Amino acid sequence: MRRFQAGATLALLFVVLGVVAFPFYWMVLSSVTPREALFQPPYKFIRLDFSLGNYRELLFATEFARYFINSLIAAVGAIVLNVVAATLAGYGLTRFAFAGKKPFAFGTLFSYMFPPMLMAIPLYILFSALKMRNTYTGLILAHMAISLPLNIWLMWQYFQIVPQSLEEAAWVSGASRLRALRQVCLPSARPGILSVAIFSFALSWNDFTFAFILQTDRRMFTLPVGLASFVEQTGVHWGMVMAAAVLVSVPTFLLVFFLQRYLLTGLRATG
Amino acid sequence: MAFSVRLERLDKRFGRGARAVHAVRDLSLEIGEREFFTFVGPSGCGKTTTLRMIAGLETPTSGRIWFGGTDATELPPQKRDIAMVFQDVALFPYMTVRDNIGYPLRIAGLPRARVDDKVEKVAATLGLADKLAQKPGQLSGGQQQRVAIGRAIIKEPKVLLMDEPLSALDARLRVDMRTEILRLHRELSATIIYVTHDQVEAMTMSTRVAVMDQGRALQIDPPRTLFRRPAELTVATFIGTPAMNIIQAAVMPTPAGPALELLGQRLAVAPRHHAALDGLKRVDVGIRPQALRLVPPAPGRITGHVFLREPLGLEDEVLVETTGGARVKAVTASGEEFPEGAAATLDFAPRDLYLFHPESGLTLCHGTD
Repeated sequence: MRRFQAGATLALLFVVLGVVAFPFYWMVLSSVTPREALFQPPYKFIRLDFSLGNYRELLFATEFARYFINSLIAAVGAIVLNVVAATLAGYGLTRFAFAGKKPFAFGTLFSYMFPPMLMAIPLYILFSALKMRNTYTGLILAHMAISLPLNIWLMWQYFQIVPQSLEEAAWVSGASRLRALRQVCLPSARPGILSVAIFSFALSWNDFTFAFILQTDRRMFTLPVGLASFVEQTGVHWGMVMAAAVLVSVPTFLLVFFLQRYLLTGLRATG
Repeated sequence: MAFSVRLERLDKRFGRGARAVHAVRDLSLEIGEREFFTFVGPSGCGKTTTLRMIAGLETPTSGRIWFGGTDATELPPQKRDIAMVFQDVALFPYMTVRDNIGYPLRIAGLPRARVDDKVEKVAATLGLADKLAQKPGQLSGGQQQRVAIGRAIIKEPKVLLMDEPLSALDARLRVDMRTEILRLHRELSATIIYVTHDQVEAMTMSTRVAVMDQGRALQIDPPRTLFRRPAELTVATFIGTPAMNIIQAAVMPTPAGPALELLGQRLAVAPRHHAALDGLKRVDVGIRPQALRLVPPAPGRITGHVFLREPLGLEDEVLVETTGGARVKAVTASGEEFPEGAAATLDFAPRDLYLFHPESGLTLCHGTD
């Protein structure tokens, strides 16, 4: 019975794996298939006419590299600002008593419920007035607006499980509050900080709404908007779009691959 | 040199309105240089809050804290020249034992070589020499507590604060660590201020003990005085194991002065205590289990049957149920006659009785007087 259960579990996992992995496989396969061969029947699961032509075209004939850099700047900016702001806010919420703490915490979570579209249009008007459309700063701030609330919530939960006595032990040892935070609190909260970083990256990297509305200048497009523009042109070059999709998933894949250990502990702490 | 610590009308409230907690009430006392001073009491009595105020981790609502001649009330913990051992050990989990013990010195800016030197000396006295490269998570509870003590004493603090440092250890280890802490107290020449809920720890280690209840110090005295001359009923029942028996007695006027009606036995009161009983209709009588003996049943005296006998080795703890239904505990030699169920009379010397005021609980007369 036990062996049957194990076997059934394994079979189910393989089915799920197939469902998840096949589109991914098809994406990679299409990206290395020459343009002429892509829509030539019969369609086969294994093709051998390997070519990097799509990638060459993508990198040298389009603005892809620029979009990639734009996305990277926005994502790195969002990660850095989110980590700093969420860590300090989470620490403050657990360690200091101040008026309006509860409303603040619930307001934070409430603001996370807004769909991005609801904020995008007011932000368009606001950033127009501030001349912050088509700037990295504007885009980073917009991305923070959607990721920071949850990140603060996350770090708040995290600092609650770091015992206050650790910091107090550092204080009576002579450490200042900032030093105790840095040397004693932050190492214990590291899984939380990494979760914040990954979450901020994912939201920024995948964001379409804000980038589409705020970045009207072609040179400021991010990857999701840039990729969409490939599709809208007459005659979609699917091989190239797939090559772009592969390159877009590489950073996400690397990040999750190297940080999955921390990501899992992070999810456990909040769940 | 160590310095004295003086608390002057210290008061601490937490919260406001209906949920406010008055943790420490108008506490004044002085702890002398190099004294081993213990705050003992049940949980919630204010002992830990008092210690945290001395450490600078809580700010008093009112009152002052003096370290020697300087007013330390407003000093942050970093500037107090104290060290503290925490109840939950509070070792830094990501640092090795070496880095944990050396942390205060590294903050003070000592060069690495000097820090290592001192860490090794402290580790040697605490039996941790071979553990320096390990992380706290790899150590046993007793070893972790030693590391925490090492971190506290490495800076040679003037005042060492200990907040229930042994409560997380098992019984056997606790006894060993008690000896160790006493040895440190002799070697360190520091003032030690110790908090515990365990009266045995308080009695065995301290030069003086403050018995706390509901934010007040009920009595501050050396352990022996607390045991022999408790100031009130709460102290009398808290100090000593098994706890002192408390029995209600009626005060009967007789031509020769007041007498006590105690579980059916009439007892004359010595003339020097007559004044204390003046105007009282009843008193609470206390007698320590060690002051009671079992003898064959005798008329006119406190009689009952052995309800439960718990052998402790040399002695037995015996619970006697009197004919009136009261239960009284006695400590007797083990293996004597009077097994469970046997009838017996409780024998005692009247001068071993303590008398307490029925309302205030204050001691009216001490057993040894």
